[in-house]
Amino acid sequence: MTQISNEAEFRHALAGLDADRQRAVAALFVKHVLPLCDDERIAPVTDVAAREDVPEDKLAEALRTARTTTTDCHARCGAAGDWSAQAGYFVARAAVAALTPAGQMPGGPAWQAAMASRMAKTCEAIVTGDDSLGRESEEQYRILVDFLNS
Amino acid sequence: MMTETQLLVWLRGPALQVAIAIFVVGVAVRLLEVLVLGRKADLAEARGSAVAGGMRTILMRSFPDRATLQRAAFTEITGYIFHIGFFVTLLFYAPHILLFNSALGISWPALPTPVIDATAVVTIITLVAVLIHRLTNRVMRFLSRFQDYLVWLLTILPVVTGYIAFHRIGVTPPILIAIHIISVELFLIVFPFTKLMHAFTLFMSRYYNGAIAGYRGVKS
Amino acid sequence: MSASLERGIHAFKEAIDGPVASFFSSCVHCGLCAHACLFYTETGDPKYTPIHKLEPLRRVWKQEYTFWGRYARAFGLSKPVTDEELGEWETLVYDSCTMCGRCSMVCPVGNDIAYMIRRTREGMAAAGHAPEGLIGASRRAVTIGSPMGVKLPALEAQIRHLEQEAGLTIPVDLEGADYMCLLSSMEIMNFPEYIGAIARIFKQANVSWTISSEAFEATNSGIQIGVSEIAAELVQRVVDAAEKLQVKAVISPECGHAYMAIRWEGPNLIGKPFSFQVMHIMEVLDQLREEGRLKTTGKEKQRLTYHDPCQIARRGGVLEQPRNLLNIVAEDFVEMPEAGKMNWCCGAGGGVSANERADELRLRVFNRKKSQLDAVRAEGLVTACSNCRIYLEEGLEEYHMDIPVTGLTETIAEHLVEEGEGGER
Repeated sequence: MTQISNEAEFRHALAGLDADRQRAVAALFVKHVLPLCDDERIAPVTDVAAREDVPEDKLAEALRTARTTTTDCHARCGAAGDWSAQAGYFVARAAVAALTPAGQMPGGPAWQAAMASRMAKTCEAIVTGDDSLGRESEEQYRILVDFLNS
Repeated sequence: MMTETQLLVWLRGPALQVAIAIFVVGVAVRLLEVLVLGRKADLAEARGSAVAGGMRTILMRSFPDRATLQRAAFTEITGYIFHIGFFVTLLFYAPHILLFNSALGISWPALPTPVIDATAVVTIITLVAVLIHRLTNRVMRFLSRFQDYLVWLLTILPVVTGYIAFHRIGVTPPILIAIHIISVELFLIVFPFTKLMHAFTLFMSRYYNGAIAGYRGVKS
Repeated sequence: MSASLERGIHAFKEAIDGPVASFFSSCVHCGLCAHACLFYTETGDPKYTPIHKLEPLRRVWKQEYTFWGRYARAFGLSKPVTDEELGEWETLVYDSCTMCGRCSMVCPVGNDIAYMIRRTREGMAAAGHAPEGLIGASRRAVTIGSPMGVKLPALEAQIRHLEQEAGLTIPVDLEGADYMCLLSSMEIMNFPEYIGAIARIFKQANVSWTISSEAFEATNSGIQIGVSEIAAELVQRVVDAAEKLQVKAVISPECGHAYMAIRWEGPNLIGKPFSFQVMHIMEVLDQLREEGRLKTTGKEKQRLTYHDPCQIARRGGVLEQPRNLLNIVAEDFVEMPEAGKMNWCCGAGGGVSANERADELRLRVFNRKKSQLDAVRAEGLVTACSNCRIYLEEGLEEYHMDIPVTGLTETIAEHLVEEGEGGER
């Protein structure tokens, strides 16, 4: 059905999704970078985001957990930064985006989740010094296409 | 042994001259101590006028922002009352104006004596309330030192002794006047060594504050 | 440089100028400053009264610069400042003060207490009484170039990925560009979307800009700890880079103290005016808006409010611009009580957030910001300082408030009319 090969198409396709579908695809983006996160709270909340027909309060609870994780994981001002820990921070932020109600995120939850996931990957690249890890964006295009076609 | 009249003559004459001299020299020294330290020129690019900001804050800092007025209503309101009351009794009582006239050659209209009388009473009551506040309020008590209480005493004494002298309560009128004059001379002599200097330095402080802020484009 | 009480006292002396002397001469112990300080209002502890935090400086002033004080000292009648005392004052000067300047706005005799705290820190630091976190941050800033140890390769990786992923161009070391953008380590590490946001906005508005590989750090730890030599060195790096690239202006990013450091203290620290302008990113964006070069579409529908970063607004003078900008991308923008120059501090600026010892106090006094947010019932909070941003998030977390916090530049960027795109989103 759809082909996505650049940013504009990616954004446009995401924007066209309704709130539930945005959440579902956002969860997929997060799952793809989950191994970069050491904090064990993120996997379960990502599962919540991925499920269909989740009650509002369960979503809100998962969002709160994700938010708590980001505040626990962020780099403290003035402290020596740790890029591999930062990767985990961005995965948590992606989870927050996935679980945030559609109207509250500029650009939409799926887009923000995608961006945060990419940043997690960038942190990994900084740590390993290896830039040949491939572009997360291309992986995300593929994930979105598969999602739309399913 | 001096007569009452001789005492008064001395108090109104040499003693007052000494007190005023100490006051004037003392204030001048304190002001110079500030000015001599100076302030480095600001090399950052200005957004607004420092001078305009400084002048503005000199005036506008007399008016508190609403939130602070609510939070510290007692301090703000009593502060206004006793300052205004003090200056009204000092400057608008006919016998005081005669004194200023003989010293400085200028004169201005007086307020009716009953008004001055009432103002004195309000000022005294407010100052007592201010003392109680200073002694009981958590922040005030924490901040206050001997000097704060001394200055309080030196400020209330002229008002109280003046009131008593006017109403001729107690000893002979000449002695009451003498006591009043002594309280004023004490006030003048101690003034430059205490926080009473704020009467002069607040103009500089407000100016600096407003100038620094005004330079950056903020009305402080 | 080794710290000692002697160095500390010397630094205090150097820090006293006409304004400081005037301020101390004027204080009448009225206690009003306490009511302007969130560290007092939210704890009720009088030791947080702003003017009290300055006691060591005041005594040095009295003993050195007043006739009566010097006289008393000569006769052994004065109380010298001791090392122990400075140790006691460390938490007052560094943990319970962000130099937010609200006290300076409220003092009836006009004392600029925040100005004096900045100067007191010079003495405290020289005497060796500054918090561990700030000492570490300053050291990293001087030796690595970033208080958080962000090195050029890490930034380059961020830039590369942004360029690849988003098809943006982020010019590095472009000589003759109009603007040189600084970035705070907090942004590079926690909110790198800021870089993408400015790249997109500048592309659309056709702004010529660059980042310097030799001086990209905006954060000035020297200002926070109170060591002017360090502060000056960090500023000089930026000046050297800006002159080398011959830019017209340096843009300070979404970081409060960075703006204060480069815009207002900068030239005074290095002893000469800059040959270029300094602007906060919001000033630049607002200028673009005025010139009609900022093309946006759609608006945020949720109820948004704005937190004024103290160093940018009250102490920095950038007050109207964020409002102008928010009004073009927000349908329902409401001001919190006391918004603008009297806004309340987030509690984390001026080095407080870098100081682990201050965490508990900082979270406790966040209650003040909470009260403002409760009053305005906002659904979203926007700010323009990444330090405020992350610590607002922490505070909201602590008080179980589900309000997302975003950066202003990022919010604008999300509403840009992209090429090939149009209409509402």
